[in-house]
Amino acid sequence: MEPGGSILESIGQEIIGVMSPVSICMFLVVLLVYSLYNPATATTIRTAANLVYMESPTDSTSQKLEGSLLNAVVFVILIALVTFLLVLLYYYNCTKFLVYYTRFAAFAVFSSMGGSVLLSLIQHFNFPVDVVTFCVLHFNFTIVGTLCVLSSGGPIVLKQSYMVALGIIVAAWFTKLPEWTTWVLLVALAIYDLVAVLAPGGPLKMLVELASSRDEELPALIYEARPTADMGRSGIRGSSLGLLVGGVMGDNSGSNSFEIELQAVLRNEDNNGNENGDGESIINVLENESSEIEVVEDDVGESSPLIGGTSLVERLPSPSERRNNDNANGSSRENESQREDGAEGLRGLKLGLGDFIFYSVLVGRAAMYDLMTVYACYLAIISGLGCTLILLAVCRHALPALPISIALGILFYFLTRLLMEPFVVGTSTSLAMF
Amino acid sequence: MENSVKGDGLMVPKNLQPFKPFSRSNTRSTAFESTGIGYTLLALGPSLSLFIAVIAKKPFLILTLLSSTLVWLISLIVLSGLWRAFLPFKTGSLWPCTLIILTSVAFQEALRPLFWKIYKRLEDILDAFADRVSKPRLFITDKMQIALAGGMGHGVAHAVFFCLSLLTPAFGPGTYYVEKCSQMSFFLVSAVIALAFVTIHTLSMVIAFNGYAEGNKVDQYFVPAVHLIAAMLTLVNLAQGGCIIGIPLLYIMALLTMGHCGKMVWRRLTEIRSRQGSSF
Repeated sequence: MEPGGSILESIGQEIIGVMSPVSICMFLVVLLVYSLYNPATATTIRTAANLVYMESPTDSTSQKLEGSLLNAVVFVILIALVTFLLVLLYYYNCTKFLVYYTRFAAFAVFSSMGGSVLLSLIQHFNFPVDVVTFCVLHFNFTIVGTLCVLSSGGPIVLKQSYMVALGIIVAAWFTKLPEWTTWVLLVALAIYDLVAVLAPGGPLKMLVELASSRDEELPALIYEARPTADMGRSGIRGSSLGLLVGGVMGDNSGSNSFEIELQAVLRNEDNNGNENGDGESIINVLENESSEIEVVEDDVGESSPLIGGTSLVERLPSPSERRNNDNANGSSRENESQREDGAEGLRGLKLGLGDFIFYSVLVGRAAMYDLMTVYACYLAIISGLGCTLILLAVCRHALPALPISIALGILFYFLTRLLMEPFVVGTSTSLAMF
Repeated sequence: MENSVKGDGLMVPKNLQPFKPFSRSNTRSTAFESTGIGYTLLALGPSLSLFIAVIAKKPFLILTLLSSTLVWLISLIVLSGLWRAFLPFKTGSLWPCTLIILTSVAFQEALRPLFWKIYKRLEDILDAFADRVSKPRLFITDKMQIALAGGMGHGVAHAVFFCLSLLTPAFGPGTYYVEKCSQMSFFLVSAVIALAFVTIHTLSMVIAFNGYAEGNKVDQYFVPAVHLIAAMLTLVNLAQGGCIIGIPLLYIMALLTMGHCGKMVWRRLTEIRSRQGSSF
């Protein structure tokens, strides 16, 4: 890539880095639903999500609505309790226990739920595979997955793929829930997410603050999108999204200078240095961690998603301070370059696994109706995710990823199903299109 | 819920599992899936190649494509909201169809200048960003690529909603025919029409943006005219056996759009090149 390349080459990379795994997860869940779903033989499973009320198609509308609301409330309470338990354990420094428990949860998901999904696929497509081969391959798949997801060793692509696989398995399993329960549950979880992340007493907010005050990674399943090495070569490290949004804000405030001053928490080991060609100011791009948590278990609670990955931009105000900070930056930059290849390298945006799961559940449920609703819900979710990412660049602290996307997704699903489908199908079956 | 009547006596089953009485041989199921994939690729094949060759490399263009598709989806939802009270109309009757198509085309063409205004704002932001990180401003090819991505969003939205969403039965055994056009299966006809429209929509955006940028009235009026004529031509399909005439005429419009766009792009590039005087 020549140094005079256009900005169009690299801008928007982080957003795509998060949107592609989400899209892949949704696409594979839709494929799974299409191949495995059979409304005549669908058996409802008993899970934590329908403890109270088992929906059957013959119930009246009000009965279904009440039952689903009860189910959703019970599920949200269960999740809130488990999240508080998690915060408590983390507060008392039982981090080891949390790590081992998460590994066990990942193992259980890959082996039992993943195994059942694979078995139904084999049955459906009549793959000629015997028990021994299947057991060996499945065992390998599970063990590698368990080792990969929570540790920092191993290639990042493998870790990302296993995260997506985890999301697909849990989402495919969740799509077996009955229809009304699914919709009400999604709404309830979106509201819970909003409250848990933004309200002052929310468990996830406390968790994020604890983790950032102790300056360590959360012991949870979070998808991390690493920026590519190209950005380092072109001399722009750190988040160009932050600079771009900051530029918009700078323009809007009418100031001539494009510098942004923010309250920043200085963390030496997180500094990425970036110097302008004419050396007028040194912009430190700091990247905080985001939090997004946990895995779904059927009888154990689950975590709610957060999105994070903030970039704080700080401008050094005066030459004397700049000299002092130069030294600090110089040393920290050396540390940075030494650990470039390690786990602490360039940070990217992080999205929790629960987001993947519930986006895919929404799209999977839309797939059970029609392909038009799938596409509409996919676009709605992606645009909600884009809005959340832009808000993230503006607000610079952890944000819930579920509410906007789920709200848009549900809105578009019902609009498409009720309004658009009769219109479009009517015109296109008469072969009159525009 | 299993079967529903949509449109002109066309029964489209609602369940997604294709009816497979014997699932022992894999060859039968692959034959069914391959026809479905074939129809999909017929409508979206060129867009897919264009996507992989041009758009997939630049993340910003992917974002433009997604937002453009979203905008056109919203336009379709608004249109269907407006017309919902009058549905279901007796499909195959001329006047309701004409009215619907006229209003829809008018609404969509009214959205295009709006698109252009948003794009101008975006261009300013991008240029400011480029200045700040000491990189060159947007080239003319960059601007055309953004317009192309926007147009492709429109084309993909059309193909998915008018063609692909009805292709679900094509992945199983059996096929459907529309009375008015019984020579080919319905899936084939709609895929072929969708291909023409995808081409028209994709290239119209490039022409329109260039027209707005240069203030060229010919280009600005060319795009809505082509859209309107193409939509009107599909009304020919309402007549018995009309699709034999309608579809080739539609392809003539698509080729016209392609030719005009190619000419315009060539003219602009040579203009810029001669202005720069050195190799581009």
